[in-house]
Amino acid sequence: MNLTRRSMLKNAGLMGATAMAAPTLWIKDAMAADPWIKKGGKIKVGILFSQSGDLAVIENDSNQVAQYAIDEINANGGVAGMQVEPVIVDAKSDIKVYSEKISQLILRDKVISTFGGYTSASRRAVAPIVMARDHLFYYPTCYEGRECTQNIINTGPLANQHSFDLIPFMVKNFGKKVYLIGSNYIWPKESNKNAKVWLEKVGGEVVGEDYVPLGSSEFAPIFNKVRQAKPDFIFSTVVGDSDIAMHKQFIEEGFKSEKLPIAALTTGEIEVRAMGAAAGAGHFLSAPYFQTLDTPTNHRFVENYLKSKYGGGGVTHYNMEETYLSIYVWKAGVEAALKKTGNIEEITPRMIRDVSAGIVIDDNISPEGKVWIDPDNFNIWLKPKIGQCQANGQFKIVQSAAEHVAPNPMSIYPERGVCKADGLHSPDGKIEKNVL
Amino acid sequence: MAYITLFAILALVPIVFDDSFLLNQLSRYSVFAMLAVSVSLVWGIGGILSLGQGIAFGLAAYGMGMTMQMQFQDPITNPIPSFMLTNELEHLPLLWEPFWSTPLGLMLAWLVPVTFFVGFGAMMFQARVAGVFVSIMTLAMLAAWYSMAYDMQPFTAGFNGISPPLPFSIFGVDIDPYSPLAYWICIGFLGTLTILTKLLIHSKFGLIVQATRDDAERARFLGYNVAYYQVVVFAISGFIAACAGICWVMVVQYVSPTSLELSMSVSAVVWAAVGGRLSLMGAILGAFLVNGIQSYMGDELQQVWMIILGFIFIGVVLFLPKGLISIFEYIFSIFDSKIIKQSKNQTENEAL
Amino acid sequence: MSVNFFWKAFELYPFLNALFIGLSLASIWFIAAIGLAIIYGTMGVVNMAHGEFIMVGAYTTYVLQSLLGINFFICLPLVFIIVGLFGWGVERTIIRSLYKRPLDTLLATWGISLVLVQAVRLIFGTSPLYVSVPNWLNFQIDFSFLHLSGLRLLIIIIAMGLFFATWFLINRTSWGMRIRAVMQDKEMASCFGINTDHVYGLTFAYGAGLAGAAGGLFGALKTLFPDMGSGYIVEAFLVVVVGGIGLLGTVFSATALGELNSVFSYFTNDTFARFVLFTLVVVFLRFRPQGILTDGLKRR
Repeated sequence: MNLTRRSMLKNAGLMGATAMAAPTLWIKDAMAADPWIKKGGKIKVGILFSQSGDLAVIENDSNQVAQYAIDEINANGGVAGMQVEPVIVDAKSDIKVYSEKISQLILRDKVISTFGGYTSASRRAVAPIVMARDHLFYYPTCYEGRECTQNIINTGPLANQHSFDLIPFMVKNFGKKVYLIGSNYIWPKESNKNAKVWLEKVGGEVVGEDYVPLGSSEFAPIFNKVRQAKPDFIFSTVVGDSDIAMHKQFIEEGFKSEKLPIAALTTGEIEVRAMGAAAGAGHFLSAPYFQTLDTPTNHRFVENYLKSKYGGGGVTHYNMEETYLSIYVWKAGVEAALKKTGNIEEITPRMIRDVSAGIVIDDNISPEGKVWIDPDNFNIWLKPKIGQCQANGQFKIVQSAAEHVAPNPMSIYPERGVCKADGLHSPDGKIEKNVL
Repeated sequence: MAYITLFAILALVPIVFDDSFLLNQLSRYSVFAMLAVSVSLVWGIGGILSLGQGIAFGLAAYGMGMTMQMQFQDPITNPIPSFMLTNELEHLPLLWEPFWSTPLGLMLAWLVPVTFFVGFGAMMFQARVAGVFVSIMTLAMLAAWYSMAYDMQPFTAGFNGISPPLPFSIFGVDIDPYSPLAYWICIGFLGTLTILTKLLIHSKFGLIVQATRDDAERARFLGYNVAYYQVVVFAISGFIAACAGICWVMVVQYVSPTSLELSMSVSAVVWAAVGGRLSLMGAILGAFLVNGIQSYMGDELQQVWMIILGFIFIGVVLFLPKGLISIFEYIFSIFDSKIIKQSKNQTENEAL
Repeated sequence: MSVNFFWKAFELYPFLNALFIGLSLASIWFIAAIGLAIIYGTMGVVNMAHGEFIMVGAYTTYVLQSLLGINFFICLPLVFIIVGLFGWGVERTIIRSLYKRPLDTLLATWGISLVLVQAVRLIFGTSPLYVSVPNWLNFQIDFSFLHLSGLRLLIIIIAMGLFFATWFLINRTSWGMRIRAVMQDKEMASCFGINTDHVYGLTFAYGAGLAGAAGGLFGALKTLFPDMGSGYIVEAFLVVVVGGIGLLGTVFSATALGELNSVFSYFTNDTFARFVLFTLVVVFLRFRPQGILTDGLKRR
């Protein structure tokens, strides 16, 4: 016997459940009575990144820049006249802690939104809780897409916004044969899938594909295969410590970045700082932001950030900038919600999310230039750029997209449907919520 | 008895406190307590230091995760979990088919780990593997399962893990992880399992198991089939760990290879050791205490706390093999003997 | 993980090079495991903190190099002595009281590893650090099918050197004779007037020192972070379990496992190779717990 239709049984069971212990199962309603933001108080937001553990090398900078952004906002009058109070929690690079702390932030600290996460695993660990509480989570980094959720706003590039420019550029400048190396989880695999679509369009050829476990630092066997396959460039989706080990061993194995460049989606200023500029020089990165971006807003951002108490790291990085953006996207969302209801105490996370459809962050705030949130899938419209790492550890921008690229989480899955604000609209007319 | 008091207090928590976050926290702790009890049983009572309780925990967790995920899927419109689509699977793998049915899925979540423990235990104990070798074998087996769960992405979603979007639903009731219902289920499991285990320990079976712990050769000479007892106690501890795994996924709505990580299994040993491996109560208190302190410490103190925990652990291993609870028992025994002395004096006086 | 991938990928020269890389892996594993093997073989102690000794060695090298500016090659023997002393201290305080309780030793050493990781985290933070090698090592050998970096070659040479040094120590010196005596039978050895406590202490120190020196080498090859120890402990265990407690056994199993891993990685992927290796441990422990080359020694 199968539990076939959830809804049917659910209705039958609900009556029994109400008889059983009515008040306790309706915690959500009990909570809805209290306003999220109280007049005369502060607006609480959650900051959930790893300050320790193996992901801290990337996530901690996001943590710092989030606090910097909040300080900056507070110094300029706060949001709608109220000060913002960050509740900062360390996720310790541990998925279990992510899942525990998100519920603490939502239920105990009663923050109105949370910023955090880096790996897709961290996002998926917090998603069910965020969705169950109809809360709002800002995920400020690149990810693979393929999701359509109604409680998450993303300010980093999707898979279709990365490979789109990097693959044709590399094929045009270096050759058709590419070796794919990635960390062994879903984001690199999705990114490679996207890359293959673009490779086909420009006549490229995959001569090898390998995945290393997260945290692994032994690349000699892979480089041996690379030597055999003789690619024109390497397309890398290796993350974290493995990324650093790979670049170091690349040099030890005798490869030169002029002859065999690595085109990556993750190796930015922070990773180069960790591996040493000598190991990073000559390789390419596709990102919407580089520290060397020549706009007045970016110069101001970099200067002020590095001067501040948070700027000890010495570099800014696309992940950090996306986090910075997410704070301002949130601020704009709260202000738009306020304009809509007029009463700050009526604002809920759901409201902020819904009014953020299409919200724009202009050049004078966004270091990477004007961006806006897609009104359908709540990812971000941005202009991808390609940078080449120089001997000083900074990137020189060698190509910049002329137009904004639309985010499309289902770009290589058209048969799944189109992601819209209320759910995934599949081709047969059904609307599916919370597609993870 | 102390146990009944403990569980009565725990059961009353949701009535006193209306804090759903606290309930979820305590539910998590009770899952950890179950793991600690399973370690206490197999190690304190059985003398087998298994570093692989995580195997049962993880396998059951995945079973539960798969059940919950399939509850979300619909056979006609949405038959395949989305992570499988990414991995280019056209059809639901055979492995996942049984999980359409919730009762079958739950049963598998229990059956698979316990069966594995029986088989693995039989392989080890029939060959009279003991002591350190058992620990290393369980450790290696755990690492093997971890690698497999990590690698078989089309089936397990790999490192990303499976996040069933909806809470677990049984008999038509949605079990919200933050509700008293979920809490009572976890505490119920913990209480029932603990009391049953306690009864087991005090039964003839339990006595023989303790005999094999103290000296396996002697027990063999006395005619007992030591391997049999070891396999059974190992399998029972696996059952308890499997219950923990099922409750865990019900409470956190997420399963990933981290449930098969070495640190999880060893942490269970740490909780049981610190609390008191010879006493189930000690193991439970150890789990609650250590995790409670860990969660409530501020993040700066957290780093220092881990070092302190390490030292406490070393100290307990060196000086207090019966765990911290032995301190309490010592204090109680002083009181007991004082009371006995007093009443003895009284009766002596009266006799005079 | 398809079988097609297996055969399609085969080509002679890169395969031979894969074998050579296996040798490099084997040398790394041998150096990582030899300390563990000696400690376990002599004292029956399973040192769960072995990986952390390696990590401490790596960080010590970093400190010596960056703060005191000491040349890399001089760092290595220094680190050997420093970590060796540290190991001796650990043995005297903690391990000594636990000889009769091997399970508790395992747990106590695990506790030590926890403390070490946390302490390093507190002191150095979690960002990866790196040890640099002298520039002249940055060469590669490019000889027909052989491609090996200078550093890896150095590690192979050091592994061989360590093997001979340890062999000489154990089989040709009086101290080595004492160790062998204690290995065979502790009580009888002490009856003959050997100070077994002393031997244990020095053995543990030697094993720890080797781990420390290994850390210095590995830190140069890879990056330093507080959790790096866990990446070595499993392979080290594997080598010791398969090879048994003898020196030759360790060499043999390190070579076999290194080659296996490299060949496997060549054909399929790394994670599956790990799965196979772990299952191998289980099988070995079940059927031949004394390792491949040792015979007759009972399971402790």
